[in-house]
Amino acid sequence: MAELSDIKNATIRAEVEEFVTRPEEIARNVALFTRAHERMQAIAAGIIDGDDDLVDKLTAEALKAGHEALEIMDDGLIAGMGVVGIKFRENFIFVPEVLACARAMKAGMGHIEPILSASGVDPIATVIMGTVKGDLHDIGKNLCIMMLRGSGFEVIDLGVDTSADAFIDAIETHGAPIIGMSALLTTTMPNMGKTIEAIIDAGLREQVLVMVGGAPVTQEFADDMGADGYGKDALACVSLAKQLIEAKRRNAPA
Amino acid sequence: MTERPSRLIVIGENIHTTRVLMRKGPRLAVIDGVDVIKFTTVNGAEKTLTVPDSAKRTQDWEQGRVKHVKVAIDAAMQGGPEAGLGVEYLRTMAANQERGGAHFLDLNVDEISLKAEGQIAAIRWVVKTMEGMTKLPLSIDSSSVDVIRAGFEALSGKGQRTMLNSASLERLEALDLAKTYNAPVVVTAAGEKGMPDGIQPRVDNASRMVEAALQRGIALSDLYVDPLIFPVSVDTAFGPHCLEAIRALRLRFGPEIHITGGMSNVSFGIPARKLINDVFLVLAMEAGADSAIMDPVVSKPAELANLDRSSAAYKFAEDIILDRDRNCRSFLKAWRKGDLKV
Repeated sequence: MAELSDIKNATIRAEVEEFVTRPEEIARNVALFTRAHERMQAIAAGIIDGDDDLVDKLTAEALKAGHEALEIMDDGLIAGMGVVGIKFRENFIFVPEVLACARAMKAGMGHIEPILSASGVDPIATVIMGTVKGDLHDIGKNLCIMMLRGSGFEVIDLGVDTSADAFIDAIETHGAPIIGMSALLTTTMPNMGKTIEAIIDAGLREQVLVMVGGAPVTQEFADDMGADGYGKDALACVSLAKQLIEAKRRNAPA
Repeated sequence: MTERPSRLIVIGENIHTTRVLMRKGPRLAVIDGVDVIKFTTVNGAEKTLTVPDSAKRTQDWEQGRVKHVKVAIDAAMQGGPEAGLGVEYLRTMAANQERGGAHFLDLNVDEISLKAEGQIAAIRWVVKTMEGMTKLPLSIDSSSVDVIRAGFEALSGKGQRTMLNSASLERLEALDLAKTYNAPVVVTAAGEKGMPDGIQPRVDNASRMVEAALQRGIALSDLYVDPLIFPVSVDTAFGPHCLEAIRALRLRFGPEIHITGGMSNVSFGIPARKLINDVFLVLAMEAGADSAIMDPVVSKPAELANLDRSSAAYKFAEDIILDRDRNCRSFLKAWRKGDLKV
């Protein structure tokens, strides 16, 4: 079994030691980073540090040195972001720092994405995002979009004040497997439920997963109105989207 | 530089159903196996309000918080054994706002229920109840015009002029309500189709609101313009956007109009929020704001003048607000080192 001390990169070793405390997360990160190439560890460290210039440079170098784009994405960029997510969840870091990490992620993905799409590797999934009808607040939704894109999702952004029809049109046009709805106001939050009903009426509920979020939204509310999941912040949104998509693909008939 | 206004009109923002107390904090206790919220009445009596099971089944409770104002309003409105305590709780909060220097008592019950009927019933009840127990004029606050209207309809009409919070381009009908009830009114810089991006859209949207209000015969001195304050944690350019919009609006509309805003938004997502809020308020007042939608019990208006502007903590906060600290990096570093004590 790999041990923490087997992680070669000193920054990663220190980060995992200091900030990752749940046993299953320690095990996962130790396994991941002891297996990952040192270049990948350095990229992950750059992500954790929120250093976009460094990640930009290291990603380009790794590609030049012959590493696969997928390896860089999984073992470098996404692996680094995993630690960032844990630190944010445990209140060790704050919104501005997560955003710096997301920008570093974007810098790395800038090299990776064109290669993946040229070689026919699809994005993880397409997500349709919008703030619900009657609500003009978009800061939280935009953070979610930034994190989703950084994590390999393609996002169709419907903006604010999005009607049920606009969501339905977008589901039909893009064939997206997930939509995300956001609301900041208690008075507009019920429009999430109304949109879900409209999606049912349009006969599309079977083909699309619905995630919801926003300050007044809770898991209970998400359950009540029949959403498939609730995320309390932008990083939770990304892990939820991943979970939903994985579950869907597992259950799909081969 | 605009001269700092001598007076800050505080729209005391605490009787809100969104407000939470931490379960681990000093106000929560378990007495004989029952979770309670402790409070001290105006007369100095120690009382407790029971946290009902309905509040314990929530995600807030699981995550260590309780919506205390909601608990009090629910208890009072349901008329059970703790109805009197619920009313007493609100009376205490109003008295604390008054003592803290609030000029208006802002009431928002949007989170009492997900249903419009529930929100309307609650605003009616809260308006009627609070009108009789505070000397302060009320401010009726909701993101729904129907709720605001219900609040105004519930007023006795005998009291002082009640503020309307708020009107914007997406709901101009709130201005008609303000005119009907002769109410001072908060007008925001939100656009018809989205939130303003940058300085000029704030000034343009707010100016259109001011013009629309003047056309309806509402006096300039009854307008409280909110240029909208967004969290600098998300984008450090948001600080200057708001401050420059305040400056431009003051220049454009002169001394009579009021300029206000939900000041504590600025610090969302970063620690040491009180420090950031206080520094932002000082800078906003310098730019021309003469009002704030804030909790004066937490950020004490009278103490703002005493802020040590040469302290390291002040400088760190000023730097994030004025977009001189990318990603709030230096600020957060200083916070981790414990250097942000004022």
